[in-house]
Amino acid sequence: MRWSPLARSEYRTVLTSKGAWILALLVVLWGFRPTYAGWDAVGRNITIGYVQIGVDLFLPIGALLLSYQSLINERTTGSIKFLLGLPLTRTQILLGKTGGRFVGVGTAAVAATLVLAAIGLIEHGTFALLPFLGTLVATLLFAGVMVAIGVFVSTVARRTVTAATGVFAYFLATVFWSRIVTSLYTAVTGVPVDPYDAPASGPLFLALRLTPDGAYNVLTNWFLGVGNSTELFHIVYTKLEPGVSVNAFVVEAAFDGGGPWYLHPALSLVVLLVWVVVPVALARRAFTRGDAL
Amino acid sequence: MNSAEPAIELETVTKKYGDVRAVDSLDLVVERGETYGFLGPNGAGKSTTIGLLLDYLRPTSGTVRVLGHDPRRDVVEVHDRVGVLPDRFGLYEDRSARQHVALIAETKRAGDDPENLLERVGLGDAVDDEVGGFSSGMEQRLALAMALVGDPDLLILDEPFSGVDPHGVRRVREIVREENERGATVFFSSHVLGQVELVCDRIGVLHGGQLVAEGTLDDLRARTASPNDATMEDVFVELTDARVDDGGDRR
Repeated sequence: MRWSPLARSEYRTVLTSKGAWILALLVVLWGFRPTYAGWDAVGRNITIGYVQIGVDLFLPIGALLLSYQSLINERTTGSIKFLLGLPLTRTQILLGKTGGRFVGVGTAAVAATLVLAAIGLIEHGTFALLPFLGTLVATLLFAGVMVAIGVFVSTVARRTVTAATGVFAYFLATVFWSRIVTSLYTAVTGVPVDPYDAPASGPLFLALRLTPDGAYNVLTNWFLGVGNSTELFHIVYTKLEPGVSVNAFVVEAAFDGGGPWYLHPALSLVVLLVWVVVPVALARRAFTRGDAL
Repeated sequence: MNSAEPAIELETVTKKYGDVRAVDSLDLVVERGETYGFLGPNGAGKSTTIGLLLDYLRPTSGTVRVLGHDPRRDVVEVHDRVGVLPDRFGLYEDRSARQHVALIAETKRAGDDPENLLERVGLGDAVDDEVGGFSSGMEQRLALAMALVGDPDLLILDEPFSGVDPHGVRRVREIVREENERGATVFFSSHVLGQVELVCDRIGVLHGGQLVAEGTLDDLRARTASPNDATMEDVFVELTDARVDDGGDRR
């Protein structure tokens, strides 16, 4: 592919930056969290849970910080004039940028996952291979989503400060997503939402899992077999224990019989894919129209 | 690629930013094998025109053709055969000169050895140095090496003498000659009028987004009241002063 050299160059940029390895380190340090609840929930597969815990918190911010300047930085320094002078279409430039950054961030994420797996193997012994591989694939997809969002922000912003504001706005939205969704739900339906005893509303639960991190957790919880929820695996397990009250939205706790079909955890794969395709398509639309400088 | 078509052909090209016409109904033809000097005062529209040639910018109206291609539709074919030294560019500070040249060589699928090209522009001693420590003259030389990758049919050099010391100026001039002798068309804009005079076959003077004069230096002298021994600078000032007096569109 014509854009392979550009992608390799982007990949090198990510992997020679301290940021990629700080990200990997933080995923490992934050993820390795042996708890009784975690052990009770999944036993030796707690190793896979470590990956979920570390990735859920640090991959989004790490991947965004490693990608949101990918184009805007070229605009502000003027190196975009060489980039645009390459024998590539603007779409190929975007593919090279996104692909290269994804491989860089993905490499750091895989490295962190393998380190956690090694630690888990030493500490707790063997774990189930298929859920681990599923989590690894979900982690790579999640990395792809965050890089796609980062490159999109970098493409549409005209100034670095605007791009940084966009990234910050994304974080605010995801951090407060549960509160935003429940407030909107209450405003529309008039039904108050108590997370200790959530209403059995399909649309409410669907909205909660539309963020990339929510979809990632739903998918990895499914692989771990703990329950259908956007929360971390040990919280889901605790919520489903009899006689325990936890403020978490778990499908099995709210619905009799597993809830409507569109809350099936496998559909979170579609959510993540949409989060890759839509930002890339919007970035392409912005970058290929009109002036590139 | 049709080799009979001009290297550059602009037909009534206009580029507007809001109400401002950066390029105004510009007609321009640069034949293959020419060394064409593109002159004009600051803000005349030179870099905008170059941006249009490379599809960095898109015309509001008119037709642009480069080496017989539409630079927007056939951007890969055009950029494959064009070498560019842009104006006011930036480099990747943490990468070496070799990496800069290699990225272009690999993307163009050209077999050039970055070391040879860097040697040619006088950066043989700095091949593996990170460009963050380069002087402006070294950056300019590196950009020229990047433009030379793949023996382009058309070299577009925007202010190639900018920030370059006298040795560098001579090297740039020699390279322009060598490339032209190889068969490349060279299109360059410059404020260093003495160098334009030394290198170019033909000269176009842009002002207010319009081509106000074009021809050999003798042709341009004849268009003005300049004496036969007038320098390029005298002719340039007279041509562009006249337009200022006319009250033309400015940017």
